Amino acid sequence: MLRIEHLVKEYPGGIRALEDVSIEVRDGEFVVLIGLSGSGKSTLLRCINRLVEPSSGRIVLDDLDITAARAGDLRKVRRNIGMIFQQFNLVKRSTVLTNVLTGRLGYVSQWQGLLAHFGEEDYRRALVNLERVGLRDRAHQRADRLSGGQQQRVAIARALMQEPKIMLADEPVASLDPATSHSVLKYLQQINREGMTVICSLHFLSLARTYGTRVIALKAGRLMFDGKPSEIDAERFRSIYGEEAVEVEIE
Amino acid sequence: MATTLGQPTSPAPPVGPPAPDVVRPARAALAEREDPRKRIVRLVILLAAAAVLAKGWLVTDIDLGKLANAPNAAPILKALVQPDVAARDVMQVELQVPFVVGAGSTGPALASDQAGQSLRIEPGSASPGQTVTFNGSGFAPDADGQLRIQNPSRGIDGLFTRVHTDAKGSFHEERVWPEYTTLPPDVYQFRLVLNAPTGSPHPSDTLLNSLGRMGETILLALMGTVFGVVISAPLSFLGARNLMGGTPIGRGVYWLVRLIFTITRSIEVLILGVIMVVIVGIGSYAGVLAIVVHSIGSLGKLYSEAVEGIEPGPVEAITATGADRLSTVLYGVVPQVIPTFLAVTIYWWDHNVRMSTVLGLVGGGGIGYLLIQYMNLLQFNQAATVLWMIVIVVTAMDYASAAIRSRLV
Repeated sequence: MLRIEHLVKEYPGGIRALEDVSIEVRDGEFVVLIGLSGSGKSTLLRCINRLVEPSSGRIVLDDLDITAARAGDLRKVRRNIGMIFQQFNLVKRSTVLTNVLTGRLGYVSQWQGLLAHFGEEDYRRALVNLERVGLRDRAHQRADRLSGGQQQRVAIARALMQEPKIMLADEPVASLDPATSHSVLKYLQQINREGMTVICSLHFLSLARTYGTRVIALKAGRLMFDGKPSEIDAERFRSIYGEEAVEVEIE
Repeated sequence: MATTLGQPTSPAPPVGPPAPDVVRPARAALAEREDPRKRIVRLVILLAAAAVLAKGWLVTDIDLGKLANAPNAAPILKALVQPDVAARDVMQVELQVPFVVGAGSTGPALASDQAGQSLRIEPGSASPGQTVTFNGSGFAPDADGQLRIQNPSRGIDGLFTRVHTDAKGSFHEERVWPEYTTLPPDVYQFRLVLNAPTGSPHPSDTLLNSLGRMGETILLALMGTVFGVVISAPLSFLGARNLMGGTPIGRGVYWLVRLIFTITRSIEVLILGVIMVVIVGIGSYAGVLAIVVHSIGSLGKLYSEAVEGIEPGPVEAITATGADRLSTVLYGVVPQVIPTFLAVTIYWWDHNVRMSTVLGLVGGGGIGYLLIQYMNLLQFNQAATVLWMIVIVVTAMDYASAAIRSRLV
């Protein structure tokens, strides 16, 4: 279970990205984060694995106090939390396999990492995870030879290498076409059905309704809505996205 | 265009020069906009610039006449088109002809060898005021030689005249025997020593020498570059703002490394060469050290900028997996900067070869040493060989490095 309590993030310069956000996410949920650009979705996700330092508040994953973790413990915290990104963030010039193996860097010792020495077990695991996202035959290709959707699947495999308890996804399909978006989200759904908690920010409400078991909406850093996807009607939609907004469907 | 359909068309604009009453207000408007103070400022700047240039002309002793009427320029320019690159082996030919000073036979004196090379002196004796002719034939064409007059018992061996054979291998000299001569009447012999070029041309010693020195120069630049890379490549990560900006200690290291880069970069290679020659003595080693120090700063700065130019995404993603800082750099940063690092390194080797060609001027080894030697001895043809070699090698490296770099990046 992930507990977020009174989370505040103020960036240098006084911009308050998160304003007293409290959420409780139960194991196995597929939480979709929605909200306008700049509403705080990315900041919230990055506070969970401390890529962004929260200003105040607490985040606890099971019995692990994330916000209290010191530099040394941060590795342990982070390897429990997988993350994928809008721009996939693969090392383009490295092979698919190397990219997936980097997901294991939170476990290997510093010197093993420096000598590029992953164990037999890590290689086996990498191939299994590539198999899970259907890209085992691409293991030895350079990452930038793959299409966007394939790259995002490699990124999922990389995150799976961490054997995380929870998977964060920051706009994972915003750079993809509709058909590819579905294929990537189906893999996330698959992982979720196998028991992993997923917190995923999305732009399209239709995708949120299709894949989310729960929708959380942020507006200007505040929690606007927390409930079932089906509960978002036209009025709620306008309150989240503004009076001018018109919902666009993605097939 | 669809929106304009159905609307009345506007009348065609008038064609031809605008009416004068339109032009004048326009000019007046332009003149109004011109701030008179701006014009004064512009004039002052212009005058100041002219004054600085005039002062510069005087201070640097510019004298165009010296360039137009320069007696020393001709031999240098001539040497430039006649570099000493090829030489031929020389075979020495010797012929001896007896000769009487004072009253003697009036017939010709003659000597020849099996190859049909002959020297004929007419007459075979000479008194003061008499004209003596020397005819050689059958020799190699275009050969230089000496005609010496000798008398071993009197201990006399002197150069009588220099000879040069024509295209047919002949020469012809005429001399009037001097009235007062240091040669007392006796029997002497004329000895012809001719250096005949043989065989096909081969590379001259100068060419081989400069080739060797050029090789040394390229290796000097290579060693300097390699050591420069070994030192500056790891440092460059510490001098990249995006990797070091997080903590106050990081920022401190960043500024320190950048300071080292700036200082080492600001000292010219020649000055470093002078310093290193004092420390380790004359030779290539001093040159290598000078190149190393200079390269640390420049390479370090270029590498650091490459590191700062990476995509931050992969670094963020690898940080998120729980990787430590060093692994994150190794897996997230290094693969991204490798092509740029390689391109920068090749460019810098090319640059260092250029720098190494002048290091010899201060005793830092390499081909510059040869150049300054030849120039000091006024051996312009040899100096031209060195100069052309520098031009060719530097140009070739320039092209090669550009070609390799364009493939890398």
